[in-house]
Amino acid sequence: MRAFAQVVVKLSHVPGVVAAMIVGATDGLIVETSPVASSTASATDPRKHTAALAAYLYSKVIRASDAARLGTPAFMRLEAESGHIFVVGAGDVVLVTIVTTDANLGRVRLEMMTAARDKS
Amino acid sequence: MTDPTVAEPWVAGPLTRLKEDARLLSGVLLYPSGRAVGQFGFANAADVMSICALTSAINASARELGRQLDGKPFYEMHHAGAERQVFMARATAGAQEFLFVGVFDRESSFGVVEIYFAEFQKALERLHPEKQTPGVGPSGDFEGELNRSLDALFGPIGKH
Repeated sequence: MRAFAQVVVKLSHVPGVVAAMIVGATDGLIVETSPVASSTASATDPRKHTAALAAYLYSKVIRASDAARLGTPAFMRLEAESGHIFVVGAGDVVLVTIVTTDANLGRVRLEMMTAARDKS
Repeated sequence: MTDPTVAEPWVAGPLTRLKEDARLLSGVLLYPSGRAVGQFGFANAADVMSICALTSAINASARELGRQLDGKPFYEMHHAGAERQVFMARATAGAQEFLFVGVFDRESSFGVVEIYFAEFQKALERLHPEKQTPGVGPSGDFEGELNRSLDALFGPIGKH
Protein backbone atom coordinates (compact mmCIF):
# COMPACT_ATOMS: atom_id res chain seq x y z
CA MET A 1 0.00 0.00 0.00
CA ARG A 2 2.90 2.34 0.69
CA ALA A 3 4.10 1.94 -2.88
CA PHE A 4 0.64 2.95 -4.13
CA ALA A 5 0.65 6.01 -1.89
CA GLN A 6 4.08 7.03 -3.19
CA VAL A 7 2.95 6.74 -6.81
CA VAL A 8 -0.09 8.92 -6.13
CA VAL A 9 1.94 11.55 -4.24
CA LYS A 10 4.54 11.70 -7.02
CA LEU A 11 1.95 12.06 -9.78
CA SER A 12 -0.05 14.66 -7.87
CA HIS A 13 3.03 16.86 -7.59
CA VAL A 14 3.40 17.14 -11.36
CA PRO A 15 2.23 20.66 -12.33
CA GLY A 16 -1.28 20.65 -13.76
CA VAL A 17 -2.38 17.38 -12.16
CA VAL A 18 -5.67 18.05 -10.36
CA ALA A 19 -5.97 14.55 -8.90
CA ALA A 20 -4.09 11.28 -9.24
CA MET A 21 -5.65 7.94 -8.46
CA ILE A 22 -4.92 4.23 -8.49
CA VAL A 23 -8.10 2.37 -9.39
CA GLY A 24 -9.04 -1.31 -9.52
CA ALA A 25 -9.05 -2.32 -13.19
CA THR A 26 -12.06 -4.60 -12.94
CA ASP A 27 -14.18 -3.03 -10.18
CA GLY A 28 -13.41 0.65 -10.80
CA LEU A 29 -12.98 1.33 -7.09
CA ILE A 30 -10.32 3.72 -5.81
CA VAL A 31 -7.33 1.99 -4.23
CA GLU A 32 -5.36 5.15 -3.49
CA THR A 33 -5.97 8.79 -4.32
CA SER A 34 -4.49 12.21 -3.87
CA PRO A 35 -6.62 15.08 -2.61
CA VAL A 36 -8.20 17.24 -5.31
CA ALA A 37 -5.96 20.27 -5.97
CA SER A 38 -7.52 23.10 -3.93
CA SER A 39 -7.57 25.69 -6.72
CA THR A 40 -9.95 23.55 -8.76
CA ALA A 41 -11.89 21.93 -5.95
CA SER A 42 -15.66 22.36 -6.19
CA ALA A 43 -18.66 21.33 -4.12
CA THR A 44 -18.72 17.91 -5.75
CA ASP A 45 -15.74 15.61 -5.53
CA PRO A 46 -15.09 14.24 -9.04
CA ARG A 47 -12.76 11.43 -8.01
CA LYS A 48 -15.14 8.51 -7.35
CA HIS A 49 -17.10 9.02 -10.56
CA THR A 50 -14.00 9.68 -12.65
CA ALA A 51 -12.25 6.62 -11.24
CA ALA A 52 -15.13 4.23 -11.96
CA LEU A 53 -15.91 5.58 -15.41
CA ALA A 54 -12.27 5.93 -16.49
CA ALA A 55 -11.54 2.31 -15.51
CA TYR A 56 -14.69 1.23 -17.34
CA LEU A 57 -13.73 3.23 -20.43
CA TYR A 58 -10.20 1.84 -20.35
CA SER A 59 -11.59 -1.72 -20.32
CA LYS A 60 -13.51 -0.86 -23.50
CA VAL A 61 -10.39 0.67 -25.05
CA ILE A 62 -8.54 -2.58 -24.40
CA ARG A 63 -11.28 -4.45 -26.29
CA ALA A 64 -11.27 -1.95 -29.15
CA SER A 65 -7.51 -2.15 -29.43
CA ASP A 66 -7.67 -5.93 -29.38
CA ALA A 67 -10.42 -5.95 -32.02
CA ALA A 68 -8.25 -3.75 -34.23
CA ARG A 69 -5.33 -6.15 -33.64
CA LEU A 70 -3.23 -3.40 -32.12
CA GLY A 71 -2.36 -5.22 -28.90
CA THR A 72 -2.56 -3.78 -25.41
CA PRO A 73 -3.10 -0.02 -25.28
CA ALA A 74 -0.19 1.79 -23.66
CA PHE A 75 -1.86 5.05 -22.81
CA MET A 76 -5.31 6.65 -23.00
CA ARG A 77 -5.91 10.40 -23.16
CA LEU A 78 -9.37 11.90 -23.08
CA GLU A 79 -9.36 15.53 -24.13
CA ALA A 80 -12.26 17.63 -22.87
CA GLU A 81 -13.17 21.34 -22.87
CA SER A 82 -11.59 22.12 -19.51
CA GLY A 83 -8.90 19.50 -19.18
CA HIS A 84 -7.81 15.94 -19.75
CA ILE A 85 -8.14 12.51 -18.22
CA PHE A 86 -5.13 10.25 -18.58
CA VAL A 87 -5.29 6.49 -17.97
CA VAL A 88 -2.50 3.93 -17.98
CA GLY A 89 -2.95 0.22 -17.25
CA ALA A 90 -0.65 -1.42 -14.70
CA GLY A 91 -1.74 -5.02 -14.20
CA ASP A 92 -4.67 -5.28 -11.80
CA VAL A 93 -4.95 -1.50 -11.45
CA VAL A 94 -5.08 1.55 -13.68
CA LEU A 95 -3.47 4.91 -12.98
CA VAL A 96 -5.86 7.80 -13.57
CA THR A 97 -5.06 11.50 -13.52
CA ILE A 98 -7.28 14.53 -14.01
CA VAL A 99 -5.17 17.21 -15.67
CA THR A 100 -5.68 20.89 -16.50
CA THR A 101 -5.44 22.18 -20.09
CA ASP A 102 -2.26 24.15 -19.41
CA ALA A 103 -0.35 21.20 -17.93
CA ASN A 104 2.79 19.81 -19.51
CA LEU A 105 1.05 16.78 -21.01
CA GLY A 106 4.31 15.17 -22.09
CA ARG A 107 5.63 15.23 -18.57
CA VAL A 108 2.42 13.87 -17.06
CA ARG A 109 2.42 11.08 -19.62
CA LEU A 110 6.07 10.23 -18.94
CA GLU A 111 5.56 10.16 -15.17
CA MET A 112 2.51 7.93 -15.54
CA MET A 113 4.21 5.53 -17.94
CA THR A 114 7.22 5.28 -15.60
CA ALA A 115 4.96 4.68 -12.57
CA ALA A 116 3.01 2.01 -14.47
CA ARG A 117 6.21 0.27 -15.57
CA ASP A 118 7.59 0.28 -12.01
CA LYS A 119 4.29 -1.05 -10.66
CA SER A 120 4.01 -3.91 -13.16
CA MET B 1 -33.32 -6.73 -22.81
CA THR B 2 -36.92 -6.13 -21.84
CA ASP B 3 -38.21 -2.89 -20.39
CA PRO B 4 -38.96 -2.99 -16.69
CA THR B 5 -42.35 -4.26 -15.60
CA VAL B 6 -43.61 -2.35 -12.60
CA ALA B 7 -46.35 -2.52 -9.99
CA GLU B 8 -45.98 1.22 -9.38
CA PRO B 9 -45.59 3.32 -12.55
CA TRP B 10 -43.40 6.06 -11.01
CA VAL B 11 -40.45 3.63 -10.62
CA ALA B 12 -40.38 2.71 -14.35
CA GLY B 13 -38.24 5.71 -15.40
CA PRO B 14 -35.57 5.37 -12.71
CA LEU B 15 -35.39 1.58 -13.20
CA THR B 16 -34.96 1.92 -16.97
CA ARG B 17 -32.20 4.49 -16.49
CA LEU B 18 -30.41 2.35 -13.91
CA LYS B 19 -30.62 -0.73 -16.12
CA GLU B 20 -29.19 1.11 -19.13
CA ASP B 21 -26.57 3.28 -17.43
CA ALA B 22 -25.19 0.57 -15.14
CA ARG B 23 -25.56 -2.10 -17.84
CA LEU B 24 -27.36 -4.46 -15.50
CA LEU B 25 -28.53 -7.84 -16.78
CA SER B 26 -31.42 -8.05 -14.36
CA GLY B 27 -32.75 -6.35 -11.28
CA VAL B 28 -35.63 -6.23 -8.81
CA LEU B 29 -36.86 -3.34 -6.70
CA LEU B 30 -38.86 -4.43 -3.70
CA TYR B 31 -40.11 -3.39 -0.31
CA PRO B 32 -38.21 -4.83 2.67
CA SER B 33 -41.30 -6.98 3.34
CA GLY B 34 -40.53 -8.86 0.09
CA ARG B 35 -43.22 -7.28 -2.04
CA ALA B 36 -41.96 -6.57 -5.58
CA VAL B 37 -42.26 -3.03 -6.97
CA GLY B 38 -40.56 -3.47 -10.33
CA GLN B 39 -38.22 -5.77 -12.22
CA PHE B 40 -36.31 -6.21 -15.44
CA GLY B 41 -34.50 -9.17 -16.98
CA PHE B 42 -36.84 -11.86 -15.67
CA ALA B 43 -39.42 -13.68 -17.74
CA ASN B 44 -41.33 -15.56 -15.07
CA ALA B 45 -42.87 -14.81 -11.72
CA ALA B 46 -41.31 -17.77 -9.92
CA ASP B 47 -37.79 -16.35 -10.33
CA VAL B 48 -38.85 -12.95 -9.03
CA MET B 49 -40.69 -14.60 -6.14
CA SER B 50 -37.52 -16.46 -5.09
CA ILE B 51 -35.38 -13.34 -5.43
CA CYS B 52 -37.78 -11.21 -3.38
CA ALA B 53 -37.92 -13.77 -0.59
CA LEU B 54 -34.15 -14.27 -0.55
CA THR B 55 -33.35 -10.55 -0.77
CA SER B 56 -35.73 -9.77 2.05
CA ALA B 57 -34.15 -12.46 4.21
CA ILE B 58 -30.57 -11.47 3.29
CA ASN B 59 -31.35 -7.84 4.08
CA ALA B 60 -32.73 -8.75 7.50
CA SER B 61 -29.70 -10.94 8.23
CA ALA B 62 -27.21 -8.33 7.00
CA ARG B 63 -28.79 -5.62 9.13
CA GLU B 64 -28.61 -7.74 12.25
CA LEU B 65 -25.06 -8.83 11.43
CA GLY B 66 -24.06 -5.19 10.99
CA ARG B 67 -25.66 -4.24 14.28
CA GLN B 68 -23.78 -6.97 16.12
CA LEU B 69 -20.41 -6.45 14.43
CA ASP B 70 -20.33 -2.73 13.77
CA GLY B 71 -23.10 -1.25 15.91
CA LYS B 72 -25.06 -0.20 12.82
CA PRO B 73 -26.87 -2.11 10.05
CA PHE B 74 -25.12 -3.14 6.82
CA TYR B 75 -27.09 -1.68 3.94
CA GLU B 76 -25.07 -2.68 0.89
CA MET B 77 -23.75 -6.01 -0.31
CA HIS B 78 -21.65 -7.02 -3.29
CA HIS B 79 -20.83 -10.56 -4.31
CA ALA B 80 -18.39 -11.08 -7.17
CA GLY B 81 -18.89 -14.44 -8.83
CA ALA B 82 -16.70 -15.90 -11.54
CA GLU B 83 -18.91 -14.64 -14.35
CA ARG B 84 -21.66 -12.58 -12.77
CA GLN B 85 -21.84 -10.24 -9.81
CA VAL B 86 -24.66 -9.35 -7.46
CA PHE B 87 -25.23 -5.91 -5.99
CA MET B 88 -27.79 -5.43 -3.24
CA ALA B 89 -28.57 -2.16 -1.50
CA ARG B 90 -31.15 -0.14 0.35
CA ALA B 91 -32.79 2.92 -1.19
CA THR B 92 -35.07 5.38 0.53
CA ALA B 93 -37.70 7.78 -0.78
CA GLY B 94 -39.16 9.96 1.91
CA ALA B 95 -39.98 7.70 4.82
CA GLN B 96 -40.36 4.70 2.53
CA GLU B 97 -37.61 2.14 2.29
CA PHE B 98 -36.84 -0.07 -0.72
CA LEU B 99 -34.38 -2.82 -1.49
CA PHE B 100 -32.73 -3.27 -4.84
CA VAL B 101 -30.88 -6.30 -6.13
CA GLY B 102 -29.12 -6.26 -9.50
CA VAL B 103 -26.96 -8.63 -11.51
CA PHE B 104 -24.14 -7.57 -13.83
CA ASP B 105 -21.22 -9.12 -15.67
CA ARG B 106 -17.93 -7.91 -17.15
CA GLU B 107 -19.79 -5.38 -19.28
CA SER B 108 -20.10 -3.30 -16.13
CA SER B 109 -18.22 -2.92 -12.85
CA PHE B 110 -19.03 -2.52 -9.18
CA GLY B 111 -17.82 1.10 -9.27
CA VAL B 112 -20.08 1.95 -12.19
CA VAL B 113 -23.09 0.24 -10.58
CA GLU B 114 -22.49 2.13 -7.32
CA ILE B 115 -22.40 5.46 -9.14
CA TYR B 116 -25.62 4.90 -11.05
CA PHE B 117 -27.34 3.40 -8.04
CA ALA B 118 -26.67 6.68 -6.20
CA GLU B 119 -28.39 8.51 -9.07
CA PHE B 120 -31.25 6.01 -8.97
CA GLN B 121 -31.65 6.68 -5.25
CA LYS B 122 -31.86 10.44 -5.93
CA ALA B 123 -34.46 9.85 -8.65
CA LEU B 124 -36.61 7.77 -6.28
CA GLU B 125 -36.37 10.50 -3.69
CA ARG B 126 -37.42 13.12 -6.26
CA LEU B 127 -40.25 11.17 -7.91
CA HIS B 128 -41.74 9.39 -4.93
CA PRO B 129 -45.43 10.33 -4.69
CA GLU B 130 -46.40 12.21 -1.55
CA LYS B 131 -49.29 9.87 -0.91
CA GLN B 132 -48.06 6.55 0.45
CA THR B 133 -49.10 3.40 -1.31
CA PRO B 134 -51.59 1.57 0.92
CA GLY B 135 -50.45 -1.68 2.43
CA VAL B 136 -46.74 -1.03 1.94
CA GLY B 137 -45.77 -2.07 5.45
CA PRO B 138 -45.68 -5.71 6.49
CA SER B 139 -49.22 -6.98 6.99
CA GLY B 140 -48.31 -10.42 8.25
CA ASP B 141 -49.58 -11.95 5.03
CA PHE B 142 -46.17 -12.32 3.38
CA GLU B 143 -47.24 -14.89 0.80
CA GLY B 144 -50.40 -12.98 -0.14
CA GLU B 145 -48.52 -9.70 -0.57
CA LEU B 146 -45.82 -11.36 -2.63
CA ASN B 147 -48.37 -13.00 -4.91
CA ARG B 148 -50.31 -9.78 -5.40
CA SER B 149 -47.16 -7.88 -6.38
CA LEU B 150 -46.14 -10.65 -8.79
CA ASP B 151 -49.61 -10.56 -10.33
CA ALA B 152 -49.08 -6.86 -10.93
CA LEU B 153 -45.75 -7.53 -12.67
CA PHE B 154 -46.55 -10.63 -14.72
CA GLY B 155 -50.34 -10.92 -14.68
CA PRO B 156 -52.35 -13.41 -12.63
CA ILE B 157 -50.90 -16.92 -12.82
CA GLY B 158 -53.06 -19.30 -14.86
CA LYS B 159 -55.03 -16.46 -16.48
CA HIS B 160 -52.75 -15.83 -19.51
